[in-house]
Amino acid sequence: MTTDVATAAAPSARQPAVPHWARLVVIWGLLIAAPFWLPLLGGYTALAGRVLVFGLAAMGLNLLLGFTGVLSFGHAAYFGLGAYGAGLTLRYLVHSTPLAMLIGTLLGGLAGSLFGLLIVRRRGVYFAMCTIAFGQLWYYLAYSWNDFTGGFDGLRDFHREPIGFGPLTLDITAGPQFYYFLLAIFAIAVTLLGLLVRSPFGHTLRAIRENERRARFLAIPVERQIWLSFSISCFVTALAGTLYALLNNFADPLALHYSLSGYFVVMCVMGGMRTFWGPLLGATVFVVLQDYISSMTVNWMSFVGAIFVLVVLFFPRGLLGLRRQSGEK
Amino acid sequence: MLEVRNITKRFGNLVAVKDVSMSVKPGELRAIIGPNGAGKTTFFNMISGYFPPTRGSILFDGKDVTQVPAHQRVGLGMGRTFQITEIFPELTVRENLLTAAEVAAGQTLNMLPGRAAAKLAGDVAAEMMGLVGLTSKADRLVGELAHGDQRTTEIGMALAQLPRLLLLDEPTAGMGDEETYAITALIRRLHRDSKYTIVLIEHDMRVVFHLADYITVLDQGALLTEGTPKEIAASEAVQAAYLGGTG
Amino acid sequence: MQLVLFNVTNGLIIGAFYVLMALGLSLILNLSNVINFAHGNFLALGGYLAYTLSPTLGYWGALLVAPLLTALIGLAVERLMIRRVYNRDPVYSLLLTFGLAFVMQDIARYVWGPNGLPLGLPDFLSQPISAELFFVTWYRVFMVFVVIVVVLGLFGFLRYTRVGVRIRAGTLDLETVASLGVNIGFLRTFNFALGCFLAGLSGVLAAGQIGLNPNMGDDLLMPSFIAIIVGGVGSLIGTLFGGLVIGMAAALTTVFFPSASEAVIYAIMMIVLLVRPRGLMGEEGMMS
Repeated sequence: MTTDVATAAAPSARQPAVPHWARLVVIWGLLIAAPFWLPLLGGYTALAGRVLVFGLAAMGLNLLLGFTGVLSFGHAAYFGLGAYGAGLTLRYLVHSTPLAMLIGTLLGGLAGSLFGLLIVRRRGVYFAMCTIAFGQLWYYLAYSWNDFTGGFDGLRDFHREPIGFGPLTLDITAGPQFYYFLLAIFAIAVTLLGLLVRSPFGHTLRAIRENERRARFLAIPVERQIWLSFSISCFVTALAGTLYALLNNFADPLALHYSLSGYFVVMCVMGGMRTFWGPLLGATVFVVLQDYISSMTVNWMSFVGAIFVLVVLFFPRGLLGLRRQSGEK
Repeated sequence: MLEVRNITKRFGNLVAVKDVSMSVKPGELRAIIGPNGAGKTTFFNMISGYFPPTRGSILFDGKDVTQVPAHQRVGLGMGRTFQITEIFPELTVRENLLTAAEVAAGQTLNMLPGRAAAKLAGDVAAEMMGLVGLTSKADRLVGELAHGDQRTTEIGMALAQLPRLLLLDEPTAGMGDEETYAITALIRRLHRDSKYTIVLIEHDMRVVFHLADYITVLDQGALLTEGTPKEIAASEAVQAAYLGGTG
Repeated sequence: MQLVLFNVTNGLIIGAFYVLMALGLSLILNLSNVINFAHGNFLALGGYLAYTLSPTLGYWGALLVAPLLTALIGLAVERLMIRRVYNRDPVYSLLLTFGLAFVMQDIARYVWGPNGLPLGLPDFLSQPISAELFFVTWYRVFMVFVVIVVVLGLFGFLRYTRVGVRIRAGTLDLETVASLGVNIGFLRTFNFALGCFLAGLSGVLAAGQIGLNPNMGDDLLMPSFIAIIVGGVGSLIGTLFGGLVIGMAAALTTVFFPSASEAVIYAIMMIVLLVRPRGLMGEEGMMS
């Protein structure tokens, strides 16, 4: 039973002020048709699901990184908290997918918001260091709290449940159906992000990125805006984490490790930090590459590391991020 | 409109500004001049709220703003530009001014585009862009513009926040003749036509004498004299300060 | 009583490790504003190089040469890669060292294999120092001794030599130092190599205690971060203090709650961030 939720949600949620609608048609078209053309290229639907999940996480991070200009290298913490929150809910609390998503998102988002309050006055590398350390705290908790979280092997024994809307039931247990559910959630989240970025609030974030001193002298409450940006990005990434748990019916400590945080950052940079869709493109390239490389060689870490180095040295602006031209919106 | 009463600023043992007073009426253009090291910038920073004076008080429209920090003075009606132009380089002129206008309209928490209040801010930004003459460059990235246009953008941003008092820190600093002329003409228009109250620091005497209603001269942290451009030009004390000092 | 003594000495030793590692990281962070994610890998490299060198040079030769080699490799890395990202957004230096860490880890695994390897110690070092204090081998005493000497040497170097003073000045205000005609490029390169030297030395010392494996640096990387955060960013003395504090805390916790010893380090970090965000000895304004 294929749901039409995705097709209905995506185009009709567009705002009239959105430019480059042709680009959007291509993006959404590709995403909607993914389960059909992906296997033709040797891929599989779950891979597309992975792309969406990581893409959403990266886009959440990019609100902070690319739009506000604040570096967090610990966003996997909120991703992982979302994943574990959802998994633990399904395993110990109640067999409800919406509730699992809600709890996971709240867990990751609130942890981030509270932590953000502590470090919001810091900048640059010190801020990044704190985010890294905070992330590792949760990683440590996850793999040592064996009885509760399943320790190093991860949390299993849960799976996504069909969602009931009164007389209608959305059965998302099978792969293709879940993909469209995933796409629908992704569409909603991304649309909201898009609105946010174009709003006056979003404008203040960009101002802070461009020239914090000037922003402050325009009477922008810099710390407050940064904290809000940080918090929102944590909630979005946590939502992505819940979807990750639902996609795999599994949550593991690596979803919290700083290496995943690094992957998120490189996805943003590789795709183009200063663009809205860049992180999704970066996620696509990264997920596909990693999938391909790890199936070919056991030394995949070298390749991944080399990608990081190459991107930094030769493609710092990312694939989409060629200098914004005058006259473009 | 602006009243500065006997302000003094000490940095440890160094007295940068000593017991200076100044009174600026609405619609006036006041220039602050003086040889190097006279304490102009320190004085200016206290007026704009960058740091508070060690002693003395500052009143704006009758309200005591002595301890009010800079970013809050914006809300009270003071706009400011910097000696080294501070703009948002990778945003367009329009976006620079729009951001300023939106903040002044209290829109910092508005997370939805297209609402009425935001539209009003857009109108203000457009109006100010026209006032400073940058409408033709509205969609250019400010970082790519010439220095003079960047300074003009900055003035536009200050205007977009609907100030009653404009504080300009060396507006023609680092500019060639043509750009200086353009900026001076702009400031003159703002003063004569739009009736803004303006206080500025300047080194370029041609600009000062062309624009100012009244001039405050500082020397070595103290008020040397103040008067109309004619009086200052004729003043021997001022000439001595400029020529005799290390300035 | 003996249990407490055991754990206190353990605390000293663990603390000494954290200190050595964190100091190197802190040096690089303070001067160049770079978080060296690969620091743990330089540690491992030092240990592995000692392993490879000890058949020819003996333990003492390896102890001397391996850290120097590590410093040299660090120098090459800095010249080739790190210096390209100095004045850019910190995201780039972080990604760079992060990628470097991945590559180095894989190379170590490739060259020396994924399994653990032992580093042979001279016999007398493996002996306990006395019958009662049987848990304290001469090696542990030796380690602490080395760390003390090195730390004193480092602080002396920073205080009394020309390069050292310039590094300290550069930490506070690199621009002014540059305008005084000092070669900043050389300073940064030297500083980075010095940091790697400390990491390599830590690796050789660690190898004698716990053996070698490709992941050995990982376990020390996070505590080093936390030592810096707790002690205060920008302050080497703070890092020293921070490392000792968390080393002690970890060891003492093992007495009462063996499984929580790592947790306590994180707890200390959170408390510091809550109560005194600039760190125990950090200075306000050394944050960005």
